[in-house]
Amino acid sequence: MQAWLSDVGKKFEMAFISGERWKLYFQGLGITLEIAFFAAIVGLLIGTVVALMKLSTTRSGKKTIWARIANAYIDIIRGTPSVLQLLIMWFIIMKSCKNGVLVAVLSFGINSGAYVAEIVRAGILAVDKGQTEAGRSLGLSKAQTMIYIVIPQAIKNVLPPIGNEFIVLLKETAIVGYVSLTDLTRAANQISSRTYEAFMPLIGAAVIYFVIIKILTILLDKLERRLRKSDNR
Amino acid sequence: MIIVKDLHKEFEDNHVLRGVNYHVHQGEKIVIVGPSGSGKSTFLRCLNLLETPTGGEIWFDGQLITDPKVDIDKIREHMGMVFQNFNLFNNLSIMDNITLAPVKLKLMSKEEASENALKLLTRVGLKEKADAFPSQLSGGQKQRIAIVRSLAMNPRVMLFDEPTSALDPEMVGEVLDVMKELAEWGMTMVVVTHEMGFAREVGTKVLFMDEGVIMEENTPEEFFSHPKCERLQDFLSKVL
Repeated sequence: MQAWLSDVGKKFEMAFISGERWKLYFQGLGITLEIAFFAAIVGLLIGTVVALMKLSTTRSGKKTIWARIANAYIDIIRGTPSVLQLLIMWFIIMKSCKNGVLVAVLSFGINSGAYVAEIVRAGILAVDKGQTEAGRSLGLSKAQTMIYIVIPQAIKNVLPPIGNEFIVLLKETAIVGYVSLTDLTRAANQISSRTYEAFMPLIGAAVIYFVIIKILTILLDKLERRLRKSDNR
Repeated sequence: MIIVKDLHKEFEDNHVLRGVNYHVHQGEKIVIVGPSGSGKSTFLRCLNLLETPTGGEIWFDGQLITDPKVDIDKIREHMGMVFQNFNLFNNLSIMDNITLAPVKLKLMSKEEASENALKLLTRVGLKEKADAFPSQLSGGQKQRIAIVRSLAMNPRVMLFDEPTSALDPEMVGEVLDVMKELAEWGMTMVVVTHEMGFAREVGTKVLFMDEGVIMEENTPEEFFSHPKCERLQDFLSKVL
């Protein structure tokens, strides 16, 4: 028993303490959070714009050229693996860019945008058509009706799936190891290959991801509850 | 005031309006009745282009509004519309529901609009609901607010699309009372409804629509006591 305990202690020491290795995890976590945070913002912006593009119609109710572009974008992004998108971004499109985090942010942002677009589109479509008709019948323009009436109601609808998308995105950043950025997963991996001991670093990294996502979940729940205050149901 | 010429509306494989002609004059209260699927709601919704007609012309105050170049938002400022399902803005308080359009369209300042809204709310007896949200109101209250919301734009004509059809029976009266009062003020009104009593009492003209055309048009007395076409006789025998 004692032997086992001291063995665990030694492994723990090796994985987290010696050579100030714990710093590596937190540096990795920093990279993970930085990429996830900015990619989420990029994704949210792209997603909203693309959703509105996809919903745009001509006066006679036909699809616009914008809707077709939006469709093509969503199709391409959803139809290819995100690892491959990252590699293409890294080795082809932004080959000369020295800022690895920026490349990752754009790659994940563009990827997330396609999913966010469909979430936002669903959220807008879920708002009763009568709301739009009432707005338009008062003389408000399409854009004014969207901004003052439809989007505020759509935000409540999209919050749960958007939260889900953020969580997926945060974990998805673990693939940046492919392009030699040292995020949390890669840091753990490096340490395990240096110490020939996988258990502590990998489980340690998993625990860190879990805690971060748990915190994110709690924050999203709080926000959702606050937005729901105005409707009694 | 509103002139409709040979109006047609086709959905995919459904020819709903098959050549409607009509002339609404200032101050008239036109009541449209007819069986469901007769095209009466579609006709009403074409008047402010919530449905785009597939053929024919609509003139409003001397302007051809079916012309694609017309700024329809500007036209709609002068045409109020009340819906079967109220369609109050769920995210806004009653006060904001009423003042949103006049303020955002820069027709009134925020203060003017609020003052005007309170005046109108007082008239329909709902002043104390100004800060409530739509989800806290009964159907009858919602519909009265919806009427006020349209009135806040000072429209030249009001369109009513089955305004009492979604209401519990005991709330129909309070909404009809507001509409009657509105008629007395001299508002031009076009009303699609199943309330025959209202048609008889308030209408200056009653129209019977079926199969996408106006089959009969008459003063309320003649319309109900001496219906000419067979379809109307049949319809009246069922609803009266």
